[in-house]
Amino acid sequence: MPSPRLKKLRRLFPLSLRDCGITLLVLAGAALICTLLRFLDDGDVYVSMVFLLAVLVISRFTSGYLYGILASLLSVFGVNYVFTYPYFALNFTISGYPLTFISMLAASVLTSAMTTQGKERQRLQMESEREKTRSNLLRAVSHDLRTPLTSIVGSASAVLDNEGLLSPAEVRELLTGVREDAQWLIRMVENLLSITRIGGEPAALSKQPEAAEEVLAESARKFTKQFPGISLEVSAPRELLIVPMDAILIEQVLGNLMENAALHGKTTTHICLALARQGDTALFSVEDDGQGIPPEKLPLLFEGYLGDSGPGEADGKRSMGIGLSVCQTIIAAHGGCLTAQNLPQGARLQFTLPLEQEGWEE
Amino acid sequence: MPLKQKVLIVEDEASIKSFMAAVLSANHYEVISASTGAQAYGMITSHCPDVVLLDLGLPDMDGLQIIRSVREWSHLPIIVVSARTHERDKVAALDLGADDYIVKPFGTSELLARIRTAIRHTRTREVSESVAQTGLFQSGGMVIDYDKHHVLIDGKDVHLTPNEYKLVALLGKYAGKVLTYDYLMRELWGPGVKGDNQILRVNMANIRRKIEKNPASPEYIFTEVGVGYRMADGD
Repeated sequence: MPSPRLKKLRRLFPLSLRDCGITLLVLAGAALICTLLRFLDDGDVYVSMVFLLAVLVISRFTSGYLYGILASLLSVFGVNYVFTYPYFALNFTISGYPLTFISMLAASVLTSAMTTQGKERQRLQMESEREKTRSNLLRAVSHDLRTPLTSIVGSASAVLDNEGLLSPAEVRELLTGVREDAQWLIRMVENLLSITRIGGEPAALSKQPEAAEEVLAESARKFTKQFPGISLEVSAPRELLIVPMDAILIEQVLGNLMENAALHGKTTTHICLALARQGDTALFSVEDDGQGIPPEKLPLLFEGYLGDSGPGEADGKRSMGIGLSVCQTIIAAHGGCLTAQNLPQGARLQFTLPLEQEGWEE
Repeated sequence: MPLKQKVLIVEDEASIKSFMAAVLSANHYEVISASTGAQAYGMITSHCPDVVLLDLGLPDMDGLQIIRSVREWSHLPIIVVSARTHERDKVAALDLGADDYIVKPFGTSELLARIRTAIRHTRTREVSESVAQTGLFQSGGMVIDYDKHHVLIDGKDVHLTPNEYKLVALLGKYAGKVLTYDYLMRELWGPGVKGDNQILRVNMANIRRKIEKNPASPEYIFTEVGVGYRMADGD
């Protein structure tokens, strides 16, 4: 575990191939310009200006201080060695030389500082936003957990305290309720675990190239086990789609979407789970033949606090908000897009995932 | 009266242990249990259980260590009990020689099914290993003919490439058991092969398009997401 101090040092002086490349490219460009300019003009006044500009550009487009400072050092020596008289020799006694050196260094440090501060501010802002979503989710979840827990404790006490007074059928009914509630809680906890798995940065997602049809098939198999009464039709294209993803999370999204279709469609008897290619994304869709999504809920569907204010929802514990907002978080972290719409009969939820491994860099 | 099969439960959570013990005794198994790794190791050597249910998170040692040391001298079936989010542990356990895994939270029917499969496998292991790969394997409409090196679906040869056949044959040999991506890569492409298992995915996609009616809803070869592939049990 690196200490916070070390981490900060790393952030201010990061090492990256990309930044090295930028530095070398820009410096080479400046050298080229100076060489070309020499054909027009024998003097060397423009040389330090061109390199100063190069240092500014480098400081602006690389992260941290390292590359700006390196570039200004290189420039100072390079300019001295190659472009100022005497050519191809170091001579630090030219008048005003220390001034050039100091101004280049100062320009690089100032620009780097500004760039780094800007990035830091952006990072903080993103962090606070993520924090907000997470605390909203947490509030909604704790609210939702209370109902099934109360019913589990109640049913268990009823069975234990009234031994011999309850008929076997009544005991059975109570225990069935306990099992159902507990299973619901398990799924909820799995959802919460997924959120922690996404954790801080989107880059922390452990994406692997996966065969999309395999993930589809696995979620279908689990769903059929859980809801044997609903007929499920699964389709995938002939072409094999390899999609970079965290397969466990995507499997969970598909599971959540199908479960929602089954529970909230109310009259759902048939679900279509489909995979298709759409441009350079893979499109996953879940269609049911149930009652559809109430139009007033559609705009807030993925926000996660439907349970609080939904007076129409008689059984508050079955609020669909949390499952869906978890899906939304997971898909967004993959750089995809989740949408919902009503069909003439039923509803369709679909999401895309980028096929290429773009978005791996920031 | 038939001899009861002995199951060793290695688990440190008392409530989970007692629930598993209750289910297993009700289903006519003899149950012994251990709550630490050291105790478990002692019981494996002294009681010779027929199957071990091993929780990986033990207080005194890593469960993987138990698998490693047991595998040095015994083929005793080991079923790993793990939490959902730790695929890496599952894969490590399977690669070390665990026979199967079950994910917490699990249902009783799933638990019993895994135990039955694991015990059946030890019974057939000696046979299948000595005869190497000959004879037939059948599961539903699929037949693997190990003598003629081809695979039939509903009686018709599906013309697999040599690599595809090797993959199906291997999964068939250990039907019902998960084979990890790494294991399959090593068996098919040699020990030097590294990391990226895309070539395996592509082969599997081709196989599915040849043997499954609907590749998105397979009947014969299932995927364990993040872990590996499993062939349906033979008839």
